[in-house]
Amino acid sequence: MRGDRLRVEAEERRRRVDQGHGREGRRWSRLGLRARVTVTFGMGALALSATMAGLTYFTARQFILHERETAILRQAYVNASLARSSLRSPTQNITLLLDSLDTLPGSLSVLEQRGQWYATSISVGENAIPVGLRSLVLSGVPASQHFVLNGSPEMVVGVPVPSVGSAYFEVFSLDELARTLRILALALAGAALVTTAAGAVIGRWASGRALRPLDEVSKAAETIAGGRLHVRLVAADDPDLSALAASFNRMADALLERIEREARFTSDVSHELRSPLTTLATSLGVLESHRDHLPVRSRSAVDLLSGEMRRFQRMVDVLLEISRVDTGSAELLLDEVEVGELLRQAAYAAGVGRIPVDIDPAVGRFRLRVDKRRIERVVANLVENASLYAGGVARFAVEPAAGGVRLVVVDHGPAVAAGERERIFERFYRGQTSGRRGATEGTGLGLSLVAEHVRLHGGRVWVESGPGGVNRFVVELPTADPDQAAS
Amino acid sequence: MTARLLLVEDDERIRASMRLALEDEGYEVDEAGSGETALERFTDQPADVVLIDLMLPGIDGFECCRQLRRTSAVPVIMVTARTDTHDVVAGLEAGADDYVTKPFVAKELAARIRALLRRARSVDEPSVLTFGEIEVKPDEGTVQRAGQEVHCTRTEFRLLCELAANPGKVLSREQLLDRVWGYDYFGDGRLVDVHIRRLRTKIEPDPANPRHILTVRGMGYKLTA
Repeated sequence: MRGDRLRVEAEERRRRVDQGHGREGRRWSRLGLRARVTVTFGMGALALSATMAGLTYFTARQFILHERETAILRQAYVNASLARSSLRSPTQNITLLLDSLDTLPGSLSVLEQRGQWYATSISVGENAIPVGLRSLVLSGVPASQHFVLNGSPEMVVGVPVPSVGSAYFEVFSLDELARTLRILALALAGAALVTTAAGAVIGRWASGRALRPLDEVSKAAETIAGGRLHVRLVAADDPDLSALAASFNRMADALLERIEREARFTSDVSHELRSPLTTLATSLGVLESHRDHLPVRSRSAVDLLSGEMRRFQRMVDVLLEISRVDTGSAELLLDEVEVGELLRQAAYAAGVGRIPVDIDPAVGRFRLRVDKRRIERVVANLVENASLYAGGVARFAVEPAAGGVRLVVVDHGPAVAAGERERIFERFYRGQTSGRRGATEGTGLGLSLVAEHVRLHGGRVWVESGPGGVNRFVVELPTADPDQAAS
Repeated sequence: MTARLLLVEDDERIRASMRLALEDEGYEVDEAGSGETALERFTDQPADVVLIDLMLPGIDGFECCRQLRRTSAVPVIMVTARTDTHDVVAGLEAGADDYVTKPFVAKELAARIRALLRRARSVDEPSVLTFGEIEVKPDEGTVQRAGQEVHCTRTEFRLLCELAANPGKVLSREQLLDRVWGYDYFGDGRLVDVHIRRLRTKIEPDPANPRHILTVRGMGYKLTA
C-alpha cells in the first residue's frame, strides 16, 4: 500500500516535470547522468577550443598579413623609386627597366607612362588592375588594394611617379599566404576537434569516477533489497562521500530496526497471547470432558468455542513459527533422510488415509538434508490446504528435478486462479475459492509458513494446475549430495 | 494409588485451569506459585511428577529444576512459552525430562505425564545388562559403573535400558522418542540429544569422546561394549 502510494507520487512528479520541460527535457533527462556529463564536457571543450582557435587564427592572420603588406609596400616603393630614377634618362627601354627591377617571387610590375602601359607579364597588364585603384593612382594618390585575379588572391600597390609623368603598379600574388592561413585554420580546427573529444573523454571519466560510489550504493541497496539487511557502506575519507555513506547506513539501520521491531512485536504479541490462551484452552478442555452433562444449548456453545479455540491456537502457533523465521531465530535441525521415506512419513503424520504416494524410482532413494519436523509441517499444511479448499489430497508424488527432487501434493481442485498462484503464499491472503469453503477453518497462514520453511531449506514452492483443473503444489528441495542429482 | 503432581506456575488462572483439567484426568494436584514455594512443598511432600513453568518470579524454572535434581530423580516436565532451541535445551540440561509448549492441550499434557509415570518395564529383558564396566539392572532400576552406583533419573534410566537391550544396533531418535517418552510421531529430537549427553557424563569415562554411547550421524545412536 505504502509502496504503491510512493510510486504513484513519483509518477505524478515525473509527469509534472515532463509538462514543464516538454519533450526536449524528457529526452535529455532520459540520457544517463554520465552521458549528460560527457556531452556537457564535450560541448564545453568545443566552445572553448573553437573560441581559442578563432582568436588564434585571426590574430595570426592579422599579423602575417600585416608583415606581408609591409614587405610588399616597401618593395613597391623601392621599385617605384628605382623606376623613377631610371626613367629620368630618356633613352631608357622601359621593358628592360621593368625586368631589371628586384621583385619577390610571384610579383609582377606594371608601368604607365604618358598613357602607355608596360608590364613584365603578358597575362597581367593594365586590365588586371582594378579600375578604381588605377584611376586613383593615375590621379596622383598612392594606393593599395586586395583583389581576386583568376580565382587567386592578389594585392596591388600603385605608386604615382609624377616627376616623370608615370605611375608604377606592382601586383603581388597572395596565394602562398592564403595557403599558409588555410593550413593554420585546418590545424586549429583539428586541434579544436581533438580538444572536444578529450573533453568528452575527461567528462566520461570524471563522471564515472564521481559516480563510482553510487555504484557501491546501488549494489548495497540491491543486497539489502535481497533481504541481507546487515550490509553497510564503508565510510570513505572523502567528506562528500562519507556523508552519503553515513546517511545510507543510517537508512539501512532504521530499516533493519523497523523490521526487527515489527518481527519482535509479532513475536511478543504471540507470546503474550499464550498465557490467556492456555487458561482458555485448559478450562475449555475441562468443559469438553463434561460435555455430556451439559444442557443442549450449553453443549452447542462449548462445541463452537472448541472449534474456534483450536483455530486460534493454530494461528498463534503458526504466527510464532513465522515470527521465529522473521527474527532469524529459527534453527534448522538437519537430518539426512531418503526422500521417499520422508514423504511417506510426512503424509502419514499429516493424518491422511489411504492416499497413493507415487515415488519416481529414479529419485526415490535420494537423500536430503532437512529438518524433518519442518518438512512434515510443510506437507501437513499442504494437506490441510487441500482438504479445506480443494476436496482433499488426490495423491502425493516424488519427482526428479534439476539439482534436487520435487515433493508434489495433488488435490481435487478447483484450480487456483492464475493471478492468485503467487499471492496464496502470502500471509493472511485468502483466495476467491476460500470464500466458499473452509474459510472459517483456515488460519490464512498455512501456505505462507510452507513458503518460509521451504525457503529455509534453500528450496522453492509453487502451485501449478494439472489436468482436469486440479492443483499441483510442488516443493522443490536440493539433494544432500550434489552428485546424486547429476547421476 | 493416584499420582501426585506438583504444579509450579505463577499465573493463578492458568494454575487453576490446569488443576481442574489434571484432576479430571485423575491426578492429585498440588500447587506452587513460585520456585521457592515449590522446593519447600516438594521437601514436605514429594510428588510423582513436577510441572515447572520456566518463567517464574524469583528463582526461575531452570534453577528450580536444577535444585530439585540435586535431591531427587522425580520426573520433571517443563512448561514453556517458547520452543526456541535455547529455552528447550537449557531446560532439558537443567534436568527436565520432557517439555510442553503453551498453549497446550490438557489431554496431551496428561499423556506426557502418563508416559513418564510408566514403569521401566522389562517383559523379555534379561535381569542384568552389561557393557564395559557398566551394569544395568532393569528390574531393580539401578546402574553401576565399576561397582559404583550411578544416579540416573527415570528417563535417563529408561533410555539406557533401551540402548543396552539392543547392543550394536542403531536406534533412531524417533524410535527412542517412541519407546522412552511415548511419542508416537511428533517428538522433538532434542529431547533425545540432551538426555544422551547427560547420560554420557554419568557413565562414560570421557564424555567428550564417548566409547559406549555412539552417535551415528544422520541416523541415531547405538551402544557398544
